Amino acid sequence: MSESDHPSSGVGQHRVVGLVIDTILCVVSVMMLLPLVFLISNAFKTPPELLAWPPTIVPHQPTLENIVSVLRETPLFRWIGNSLIFATLSTASIVSTSAIAGYVLGKFDLPGFTVIFTVIIATAVVPFEVYMIPLYLNVQSAGLLNTWPGLLVGYLVMSFGIFLIRQYVMTSIPDELLEAARVDGAGEGWIFLRIVLPLMRGPLGALAVLAFFQAWTAFAWPLVVMTNKETYTLEVGLALFQTGFTVDIGHLSAAAALALVPSALFFSLMRRNFVRGVAASGLKE
Amino acid sequence: MMKPVGRFGYMTLPEDCIRPATSGRRSWRSAALLLALAVAVPVFASPASAEKLTIWSGWPDLAPFYKRVGDQLKSKYPDLEISVEAIALREHEKRLALSLPSGAAGDVIEMEVEAARYLEAGVITEPPASVVDFVKANYDMTRVKTAMYDGKIFGVPLFQGQGALFYNTDMFAKAGLDGPPKTMADYTAYAQKLAQRDASGVATVSGWSLRLSGGGSGIAEKYWTILYNHAGTLLEERGGKWHAAYASEAGRSALKQYLDNVVVYRTVTPEMKADAEAFELGQTAMFIRESWVIGDIAKKAPNLKYATAPLPKGTLMVPVDLYVPNKGPKSQIAWDFVQKANEPENLLWLLENTAWVPNRKGLDYSAVLKRVPQLGAFVNVPADYAFFTVPAISPASEILTRLAARLEKAFTDKSLAGNDAAIDAFLKSAAEESDKILAREDLLAKP
Amino acid sequence: MRTKPKWLFPVLALLPILGLYCCIRVYPIIETLRLSLYQWNIISRRKPFVGFANFIELTSDPLFLEAIFNTTVIAFSIVVITIPVGLALAALINSRQGLRRSGVYEASVFLPHVVSLVPAAMAWKWIFDARLGPLNALIGLVGIPAQSWLFDPVLSLLCLVILCSWQAIGYAVLIFLVGLKNVPDALYEAARLDGASSLQAFRYVAVPLLKPVILYVSVITLISSYNIYAQAFVLASDVQGAPGHLVRVLVLDMLENSFRNYRVGYAAAEAVILLAIVLILTGAQFRLFRDRSRA
Repeated sequence: MSESDHPSSGVGQHRVVGLVIDTILCVVSVMMLLPLVFLISNAFKTPPELLAWPPTIVPHQPTLENIVSVLRETPLFRWIGNSLIFATLSTASIVSTSAIAGYVLGKFDLPGFTVIFTVIIATAVVPFEVYMIPLYLNVQSAGLLNTWPGLLVGYLVMSFGIFLIRQYVMTSIPDELLEAARVDGAGEGWIFLRIVLPLMRGPLGALAVLAFFQAWTAFAWPLVVMTNKETYTLEVGLALFQTGFTVDIGHLSAAAALALVPSALFFSLMRRNFVRGVAASGLKE
Repeated sequence: MMKPVGRFGYMTLPEDCIRPATSGRRSWRSAALLLALAVAVPVFASPASAEKLTIWSGWPDLAPFYKRVGDQLKSKYPDLEISVEAIALREHEKRLALSLPSGAAGDVIEMEVEAARYLEAGVITEPPASVVDFVKANYDMTRVKTAMYDGKIFGVPLFQGQGALFYNTDMFAKAGLDGPPKTMADYTAYAQKLAQRDASGVATVSGWSLRLSGGGSGIAEKYWTILYNHAGTLLEERGGKWHAAYASEAGRSALKQYLDNVVVYRTVTPEMKADAEAFELGQTAMFIRESWVIGDIAKKAPNLKYATAPLPKGTLMVPVDLYVPNKGPKSQIAWDFVQKANEPENLLWLLENTAWVPNRKGLDYSAVLKRVPQLGAFVNVPADYAFFTVPAISPASEILTRLAARLEKAFTDKSLAGNDAAIDAFLKSAAEESDKILAREDLLAKP
Repeated sequence: MRTKPKWLFPVLALLPILGLYCCIRVYPIIETLRLSLYQWNIISRRKPFVGFANFIELTSDPLFLEAIFNTTVIAFSIVVITIPVGLALAALINSRQGLRRSGVYEASVFLPHVVSLVPAAMAWKWIFDARLGPLNALIGLVGIPAQSWLFDPVLSLLCLVILCSWQAIGYAVLIFLVGLKNVPDALYEAARLDGASSLQAFRYVAVPLLKPVILYVSVITLISSYNIYAQAFVLASDVQGAPGHLVRVLVLDMLENSFRNYRVGYAAAEAVILLAIVLILTGAQFRLFRDRSRA
C-alpha cells in the first residue's frame, strides 16, 4: 500500500499533506525518543554539568567515568546474563505449553474443553500482583527461593499465548490436512510434531518474542524471589542500585543506559517478529 | 525493504508463516547466538564452591564496612567467601519478612526494632553463651533492649541512627548568627534570617529544610523528633500498652512550627530540594538528620563548610543490631563475623568512614574526632540528652505511615495556619486513627 | 495405531499443562480469595477467621480510598490519552505506509513500550525534576513558571499518567496499524466515490471496522494501568536525600500492607477488590462496545 492508493485532488496538495504528516510524525518520534536520549546523554555527563541549568542535550565534556564506575561497583553483566537466562527459559516454556495447549484446545472437541479454555482465559484477567503472595508462599514452602525454578514458576505459562495459538490453529490449519494424515496412518504425536508445529512457526516466533520481553521486564516477582545480589535480574538490580542515600544521576543514568542496550538491540533484531506478535494479539475478537 | 507487517495480519494464509522472510531467519540466528553467549557468560563467571557467608544489610553505604570485616575473617577461615547484600532498607525489611519464617535469610542479618516480632515468633535462634557474655560486658543494657526478648539476648548491637542539627557555617556567618539555635523557637527565628529569596520573595535557599514529603513513615519520624523537642511524644507507653500522645499542647506547637515555616514565613517550600542533597548543593542553611550525612558530604561536597549541634532536648534513636538467624554449620563463622565487626578498631573505622555511631561502650573517639569534628554532636552529647526509639510493636510502622500521609497534607494547609482549633481537630482525628490501630492489635493502653 | 482411543492424545498432552495452571494460577488465586477472610501476619501460626472484617475496614481506610482514587484517575486518563492519540498516530503512519521512514516512525513510537521499565522511569524522573529538569526549562521558554512536578499531589499524578501513556502508546499504535491494514481498500474507494474526504473515510469507514480492536486495546490498557507499581515506585522512590510526593497506587498500598504492616489478609482483601474492579471494567467495556456496534 502506498500513497498512490489514496489519490487526492492535486499532486501539489498531496505533497503538502504528506509534508505535514511527515512533520507531525517526526516531531512525535523525536518526543518519544527524547527521554531515552536524555538518559543516554546524562550517562556521559560530568557531575557539574549534570547540575547545570539549563540542562544540555549533548554533553560538553563527555566522560566515561560514570560507566566505568558503574561496571566496577555492580555485577551489571551478570544481571544482564541472569535476565537473559530467565527470559530464555521462560520463553521456551511458554512457547511449548502454548503450542500444545493451543493445538489441543483448537482442534479437539472433548467435553469440558470449553470450560478449561474459559478458565485459562479467565486467569489472564487476574493481575499477577493479586495472587503473587500465595504463589510466593508456595515457592517458599517448596524451598525454591533464590533458585531458577522458583523464579520461573511465575512465568511458565501465558494464557494469551494459548489463546493466540488456538485462534491460529482454528482459522489457519485445515481439518482436512489433519484428517488426510490420519487416514495415511499417522499418529497424533507425529501429526503435531511434523505437520502442525512447522505450520505454527510464524505465530510461535511472534509469541516467543512477546514472552521474552514479558520476562525481561518482570519486576515485582524477581524482586521478592531472588534476594542474592548475584541472582538479581537486570530490572531488580537496577531499581535497587538507585537506593543509596542521595541520588547520583550520572551513575544512575549510566547504569540505566547500559541496561537499555540489550533490550534495544534485541528489539531491533527481532522487530519483525515482535511487531507480528503484538499485532497478532489485536487481531481477532 | 520493509515488508508490510499486515501480511502476517491475515492469518488465514498459512503460506505466509511457513515461508519466513530471509531477514527474519538471519535475525533469529543472531538472536540465538546472543543467547548462547549470554548463557555461557554467567556459567564461566560462577565462583568455585567455597564456604560462603551472606551478610544482609539495609544500608548500602555499609557494604565496604562488612567487606572489610569479612576480609579480616579470612585469616581465620582462608576459604571463606563473603557476600555482602546491602539493599535499600524497605526492600531489606521485605526480604526479612518473607525469608525469616522459612529460614531462607542471610547468615548474618541486620534488624532494627522490627526484630521484636521475629523474636516473639521464635524464628531467630539464640546466640552461644560467649556472645551473650560479650554483649553483657561491652554494651549499655539500655541500648540492648531492642535485641532482647523475654529477658534473653538474641542479637549484638552494632550502630545507631540518631539525629543532630547540620548547619552551613558560611550561611550562618553571613546572616550574623554565631552559633546553632538553642531552643525550638530559635529554629524558626534563625530560619527566617537564613532563608535567601529572589526578587519576588520566593525562597531560593531554604532557611531550615524540613521533611515535608516523601514515601512513608519518614515524615512522621521527623515530626516526632520536633515534637519531642517541644516536650511531647508520639506514642506513650503505659503498662506494656501504648496510646497516641500527640493530640496535645506539644503536638500543636510542633505542627505550628512546620506551618509557620512553610505557610506563614515561607522559609521552605515542599518543592525545594531538601535534606542532605539540598545541604550539599548549598540550597538549605540547616536541617536535622542522622550522622551518615557526614560521610555523604565527605564524598559529594568535600569543600562544604558546616558544623553540627545536638538538638535542644533529645533525638529519635534507631538501633541497628546484628543477628544470626539460623543454627547450622555456618553459625559459628557468622557469630565470629558479628564479633569481628564489633572490634573497637572496626567500629572506629565505621565511625570515621560511614559516620554511623557505634554502640559499644568505652571506645576512644578522640583521634577520629580530631579528623572529623562534626561527629562531636553525635558521640559527645549533653548528659541530660534524651534518646527515644520507635516502640518495638508490630503496628508501629503502620501508625507512622498513616500519620505521615495526614501530616504531608497538613504541612501545606493554609487553613490550619494560625488556627489553633483547626490544628487541634486535625491532631485529634489523627490520634484517634493511631489509637484504633493499637486497639486492633490489642495494644491500646486504657486511659 | 488407530485402535488408540481418540481422546488419549489430547488428554495426555493437556494434562501436564493443566496441572501447571492449577498450581501456579488457579490455586494462588483461590488462596488469595480465602486469605482475604483471615487476619494473618505472615509469620504467626495464628490465622483467625475474621469474615468480611477486612473488607469493612477497607471502606473507611483513607489510604486505601486514596489509592483507589489515584489508580482509577490514572488508569482512565491513560486510556483517554492513549486510544485517540494512538489511533491518530496509527492513521498518520498508515498513510505513509510503503515509505522507508514509516518503519522508523513505527519503531520510535514503539521503542518506549519495550525498554525496561526502571531505566525509563529514571529518565522521566530527571525530566520532571523541579530544579534541573528539561520540562521546566521547556515551559520556561513560553513563560510558564517552574513547577514542582513530583511534589505537588496533582502534578505528580499527571507525571505518572504521562510516563505510563508514553509507554502504552506504542502498543496501541501497533495494533491499530494492523487493524487499519486489514480494512479492505475497496471500502475506502467506495467512500471516496461517494465524495468523502480522507478524514471522513477514516472516521466513517475505518473507525467502525476497528471497533473490536479499539475495545481490545482499551481493555488491555485499562487492566495494565490498574496494575502500575514500578513506575510510582521509581518516580517517588524513597531516596532519602530527595523525597518526592508518593503517588499511592493500589498495588503499592497492597505491598505496603503485606510487607511493611504485615497484614497479609488485609492486603488480600485489597487484591480481591482490585480483581473485582478489573472484572467489572472488562465486562462493562465489552458490553459498551457490543451495544454501540449494534446500534
